[in-house]
Amino acid sequence: MMKKTDQKIKNLDSIFKPKSIAVFGASNIPNKLGNVLMKNLTGNKFPGKIYPINPKYRTVAGLKCYSSVLEINEKVDCAIIATPAQTVIRILKECAQKKIPGAIVLSGGFGESGGADLERELKRTADENDIVVIGPNCLGIINPYSRVDSIFLPMYKLERPKVGAISFITQSGAVGTCVIDMVAKYGIGISKFISYGNATVINESDLLEYLLHDKETEQIVFYIEGTKDGKRLLENMKRVNMEKPIIVLKAGKYGGALKAAKSHTGNLAGNYLAYKAAFRQAKVIEAESLEELFDFVKIFNQTLPNGKRMMIITNGGGLGVLTADAIEENGLELAEITKESSVKLKEIIPEYTSVGNPLDMTADASVDDYKKSIEIVLNDPNVDGIFIDVLFQTPNMNEGIIDILNSASEDRRKPIVVTAVGGTFTEGYRKILESSGVPTYGAPLAAVKAMKKMVDYSLKSKCKKCIVRKNKKNG
Amino acid sequence: MGMIENFKLLEKYGFTLLPYELAKNADEAVAIAKKLKYPIVLKIVSPEITHKTDVGGVKVNIKNEETLRLAYKDVLEGARGKKIDGVLVQKMARKGVELIIGGKKDEQFGYMVMLGLGGIYVEVFRDITARICPISEADVDEMVGELKSHPILTGARGKKPISIPALKTLLFKVCMFQSEEDIKELDLNPVVFNDEGCDIIDVRFSI
Repeated sequence: MMKKTDQKIKNLDSIFKPKSIAVFGASNIPNKLGNVLMKNLTGNKFPGKIYPINPKYRTVAGLKCYSSVLEINEKVDCAIIATPAQTVIRILKECAQKKIPGAIVLSGGFGESGGADLERELKRTADENDIVVIGPNCLGIINPYSRVDSIFLPMYKLERPKVGAISFITQSGAVGTCVIDMVAKYGIGISKFISYGNATVINESDLLEYLLHDKETEQIVFYIEGTKDGKRLLENMKRVNMEKPIIVLKAGKYGGALKAAKSHTGNLAGNYLAYKAAFRQAKVIEAESLEELFDFVKIFNQTLPNGKRMMIITNGGGLGVLTADAIEENGLELAEITKESSVKLKEIIPEYTSVGNPLDMTADASVDDYKKSIEIVLNDPNVDGIFIDVLFQTPNMNEGIIDILNSASEDRRKPIVVTAVGGTFTEGYRKILESSGVPTYGAPLAAVKAMKKMVDYSLKSKCKKCIVRKNKKNG
Repeated sequence: MGMIENFKLLEKYGFTLLPYELAKNADEAVAIAKKLKYPIVLKIVSPEITHKTDVGGVKVNIKNEETLRLAYKDVLEGARGKKIDGVLVQKMARKGVELIIGGKKDEQFGYMVMLGLGGIYVEVFRDITARICPISEADVDEMVGELKSHPILTGARGKKPISIPALKTLLFKVCMFQSEEDIKELDLNPVVFNDEGCDIIDVRFSI
């Protein structure tokens, strides 16, 4: 017999890949949650059946509206519930009658605001009837593959990300909103977005487990405020991170736990120390801020480095020196390239300069010089990763550089990062590079920190599947 | 629980404490000191005194009988009016690096073990690192590396590095002790480490 948790994880498919969705609280009143939701689902071209449910209407968004889910003759896979908290239990019971295996409860008014009893009842109802529930008090999910979108924020205010390989799990809806918006802006593609709210039935550990088995997910970004089951979270993070890198951001680091502790070390501990310990034991990648989170997200589409030896290629001497400093300050090393590479590189750079690391090709460097030098360094066995610092401001730089950086990023022999410091003109280039998946940074330190995280992950996590993936892309 | 009971419980879990015996009077203390060999430490044992040093209840580095007898008097003087079980005579710790080792039962993650450098390092710089129990040898290696003050442990300024095997053994024991006895909080503070091993100087825990 299947274990209860395994069944739960399997049932999540009904939420992420439903063939039909019932929307409770669907509305014709503009800007009402149930109205935006319907617009987004239909506007996003969800290919399955949508059943609006609201006794007040005969049609919503041009679709036949039902007064009860029990009036629907066909099978329903997923319920999205956007009605007041007091009605949710009754609706869940109807879903049980209709044998709907999964539900997203967007409604607030549970444990987070004095409705703890109601939340317990929700859990009991869901568990007794084997319904998996995401939420309550959440934004729900986006799956760009199946075109499910339960986010009740208007599309014109909140851009939706394109299809990709990164999945986001977030406890906070607000942070989730910012994350989706930023991800879309950066041109990062997503596999799943999940705002899980109060984690009443399905919690963060269940979701990690689901994403481990999700073929469309290669990397996981995880925003957490707190968990109720640390032991399982630690175990699941460990297991999942070995196959798919997890980047985590913990909020609420300096909360009330300090007060409770009595002893000396206990006083200093606080609860964050336990989370930090767990993150380190699971070898997940911890970001200290939202900014860092995105810096780290961007780089993990690169091949994992085999070591710490970094090479810098630049047409801006000082930029290269700043990167070199940051490399040494952050526990990476400057690579010593082979004699062979050195001889080849000497032919590219002006006669009056010498080959070093950073490789300063000077402001005279052309787009073609970048192409040649990158190729030489990609072949060098003494180099584990490449920093390409481009001064876009020089006369010789033109849009030809985009293709070269793109192919370097997709080459997969070694990870690369691009640093582009500058104003509006440079920013324009940076955006183009970012949206085509080249990890590009506005400052040397940010680029180095991101690379360091990837080196640490690569050396510590022993990510076996990652290597398999790397080889696949090589071939 | 009293100090002696705490010591006994720790010994049951294989913690090696510095040799000690309880003396009921000065003559007994002298005899014990002879047996343990100087230098020794005296500690007042009283259920009514938590902060022994605050009442002058601890005398360290006692090297001979004469000083011992004087120190014994002083220790009793400081505890005047309090219920006294006796005076603990304990072998003086070796010199070395003072570490703080802690344990805690976290509401979400369960038992955890903490490591920091004694004195200002933990208190001022908050230089402390932790792991969730159970831990592996690699976890301890990483913990040492994570401390900002780790060069002091691994041998700064020509000093010998501390015994990492001894640290590992001790941290493993802390995890085991906590989970077996359901310890809420535990402090081994300080534990003196040198290249040969470690001496636990003071212990406090709550069940």
